[in-house]
Amino acid sequence: MSTAVDETLTILGKSPKDLRALGEARHLSLNDAEWAAIQAHFKGLKREPSLAELETIAQTWSEHCKHKTFTSPIKYTEGKKTRTIKNLFQETIVAATAAVKKPWCLSVFEDNAGVVAFGKKWALAFKAETHNHPSALEPYGGAETGVGGVVRDVLGCGLGAKPVLNTDVFCFGTPDYKGALPEGSHHPSRTLRGVVAGVRDYGNRMGIPTAGGGIWFDDDYRLNPLVFVGTVGILPQWAVGKKVSPGDLIVAVGGRTGRDGLHGATFSSSNLGADAPASAVQIGHAINEKRVLDALLRARERKLYSSVTDCGAGGFSSAIGELGADCGARVRLEDAKLKASDLESWEIWLSESQERMVLAVPPKSLKALEAVFAAEGCETSVLGEFTKNGRLLVTHHDNAVVDLDMKFLHKGLPRVERTATWTGPATSKPAGGTEKKLSAALREAIGNVNVCSREWVIRQYDHEVQGGTVIKPLQGVRHDGPGDACVIWPHAATGDMDDFTGFTVAHGLNPDYGRIDPYWMALACVDEALRNLTCVGADPSRAALLDNFCWASPEDPKQLGALIRAAEGCRDAAKGFSAPFISGKDSLYNQSKDEKGKELPIPGTLLISAIAPVPDVRKAVTMDFKGPGNALYLIGRTNDELGGSLYHKILGRSGGEPPKVQPATALDGFKSLHAAINRGMVLSAHDLSDGGLAVAAAEMGFTGEFGCLLDLDEMPRDPRIFSNETLLFSESPSRILVEVAPENESAFLRHFGKGAKAAPVRRVGQTTANPILKVVGLDGSSIMEEPLRELKDAWQKTLPAALG
Amino acid sequence: MTVRVQPSNTHLVEIRLRPEHADAEGAAALTLLRAQGLTSLIETRVSRLYEIKGSLSANQVLQATKDLLCDAVTQEHRVVTPSPAPMNGANFWRVEVWLKPTVTDPVGETVRDAIADMGLPKPESVRCALVYRLVGRANKAALEKAVSKTLANPLIHRAVVSEAHP
Repeated sequence: MSTAVDETLTILGKSPKDLRALGEARHLSLNDAEWAAIQAHFKGLKREPSLAELETIAQTWSEHCKHKTFTSPIKYTEGKKTRTIKNLFQETIVAATAAVKKPWCLSVFEDNAGVVAFGKKWALAFKAETHNHPSALEPYGGAETGVGGVVRDVLGCGLGAKPVLNTDVFCFGTPDYKGALPEGSHHPSRTLRGVVAGVRDYGNRMGIPTAGGGIWFDDDYRLNPLVFVGTVGILPQWAVGKKVSPGDLIVAVGGRTGRDGLHGATFSSSNLGADAPASAVQIGHAINEKRVLDALLRARERKLYSSVTDCGAGGFSSAIGELGADCGARVRLEDAKLKASDLESWEIWLSESQERMVLAVPPKSLKALEAVFAAEGCETSVLGEFTKNGRLLVTHHDNAVVDLDMKFLHKGLPRVERTATWTGPATSKPAGGTEKKLSAALREAIGNVNVCSREWVIRQYDHEVQGGTVIKPLQGVRHDGPGDACVIWPHAATGDMDDFTGFTVAHGLNPDYGRIDPYWMALACVDEALRNLTCVGADPSRAALLDNFCWASPEDPKQLGALIRAAEGCRDAAKGFSAPFISGKDSLYNQSKDEKGKELPIPGTLLISAIAPVPDVRKAVTMDFKGPGNALYLIGRTNDELGGSLYHKILGRSGGEPPKVQPATALDGFKSLHAAINRGMVLSAHDLSDGGLAVAAAEMGFTGEFGCLLDLDEMPRDPRIFSNETLLFSESPSRILVEVAPENESAFLRHFGKGAKAAPVRRVGQTTANPILKVVGLDGSSIMEEPLRELKDAWQKTLPAALG
Repeated sequence: MTVRVQPSNTHLVEIRLRPEHADAEGAAALTLLRAQGLTSLIETRVSRLYEIKGSLSANQVLQATKDLLCDAVTQEHRVVTPSPAPMNGANFWRVEVWLKPTVTDPVGETVRDAIADMGLPKPESVRCALVYRLVGRANKAALEKAVSKTLANPLIHRAVVSEAHP
């Protein structure tokens, strides 16, 4: 190697302590074993590494890029049993997907997003990402660049997919949090405003509808907000595969490279503290990304490039490193287009400036490609070429900056065994709290910050752009009710107005169940996502899943034990529901020091996002009651499962059983309901989640402006339940309340099977013209009569009141 | 709209809503500031400030302002020097929130390209800021603290608080 332009760092012969200090000074986030492996590698080469080389290795080996926790061995103790997990990701998520073997999964876990078939010609690419640490520091910019990043993931999936839907799920501290906060952290309401504005501005400016999502409030997120952003893209099936060939040119397109966003990947692999580098925060440029999108899709149609990926964390280093992982790459940094001329070589190589993509272009197509991008006012630069020598060689004005073996870079990461423990939840009976009247409890539940109307947020997003949002996020006669999921008909992208196939995306998230047992939380999340998409008319047997784990530090054996429980729950849910995982992401180290200097971890959080086709968008249904005198059927059995429920939270009660999913029975119910919806026999359907039957019935009522009469004695239930409260507020999973016209009742029931695994279904009441929620208890007396208008007021005023 | 010509080819252009239009952005900012304890503030209006650097004449900047930056229906379109008249003894404050020079300014970049697309000389740079004009009593230190907790994030913004007396 010739003399490097960068300073050469001395690491050979240094003690682990010195190396740790060096790593901290440069924000490298490398542990002792990794330092030792690097030392050994360069000792073999008989030279010191350059700064750019160390930065490249640190980025490539970061938790963000290599998911070390999920892929390293873990010694796991559960109760009295101890076993070794070789690779948590392979043994849970990947194993489940392999077990369910779905031929319509076109690309799983390989590309920037998961890809499933959508009809015979098209495919859907789906990815959800988090942008938690940047959003904690600068909510607007962090959320904006998060959206930009996940849109680029979909753009860089296969040979490029056209984004047709954005989703957003947030976890924040409560917006009216009154307690103290450490210096430098934002109040949750400020984080919320900034994040919503960032998602809004980026999605709206790019012309992508933002139509699905949710928000969860819990004060343990006050220092570490979670911002999940997702994108669905559509691409022709021929464009799903991509392959880099030696000799292809490395072409960077889009924004220029600047000093912004250095150390994003390593930054996300450490605990958030006051000394976070300011350069990790950026402001997105949606118009630039829109230019890249338009030009890229045009170039894809003309087949002008053979592979593409986005510049995310790690910038050129990870994008070119990934594309050339199987062959090798030769890069000349002097050809990169820069924002400022004084950038050092390692800064150009590692910068995470936004809106950039890297293409592999056969030399004969270069001129045509440059013309396509120039027509959109989008800059291109040829940075070098892919080689076949298996080395990553980067030079800057003829001086070598990086000269690394790809094998060492991508396979040389030492695996450190971690320990994890799970002691299991103490089986406890519900205890504490004060009883409340049913009507008071219902009003409190419906106005609870985790149930109340999200209209303040949703109305800021353009959910109509592209003209394909068939079922909208806000539903009902006044377009303000809480829909289960949106339904998108992507005709603007396919150009086919005769094909009425659409798709839907739904989510499941509930960290309160995870506080009791993350295993059951995972099953409940999958169940919630699937029943939400079933409610609008999607086919649950064609659902594919994404996992997003957000956890505190995996160095803590208890946290890691809980994470393993959740991953095992995902595995069993995917197998049980026969729904494969197609992609996912984890964000760890979500903990920081609170105002008293004590570590505040977030509750272990799992977001399940599900995508499924809707066979005919004209038959999709919304959740509002459609008229008086219709029968109400409840699918699914109600058990005494109030552990982690909203009702317990309202009473201040602890303990109890968390909801336990029976996937086989649940899936049977979902499939039966789907068949009935497809036959046009369902007027409305709504899932029972937070607040149980009481909240679901109230929401359906005030959204459609019809009342209902419910008889709790008719509910399919555990016969040991003798409490009206339990029946009204239990959060047993897999339950859906369905409205059916009287003339269709017998035909509707014929769709529900018989046998041990069949889901129970019973008529529990009917809709009424008078807008009142009336409930008859187990003893036959009326136990509740609530005007829906008042319930709706309580539901609508919470968020605006909390935000001022 | 206010155009101030600065030395060395730096032009400052301010665009604001006509006073007869309700300013929702301003009202939201007022709520946030009042929640920080500045309850004596009675009105906030927001305008946009563009710093255009480059070899453009005052007339060319005016043309860009009229045709590109200002909506003639809802926004002010007259060249004035800033001279707010005293109002009933209340205080006036002006808060400018700029992105720090190291942070990308996407709106500024788009304006720079759009000016060139109009056939005018391409500016060297355009940076933009939000300007909050506040009416009401406050002291500077309290206002600066409230601004850093609501309207500006010190990590990426530079906020300039000044008394807006003539």
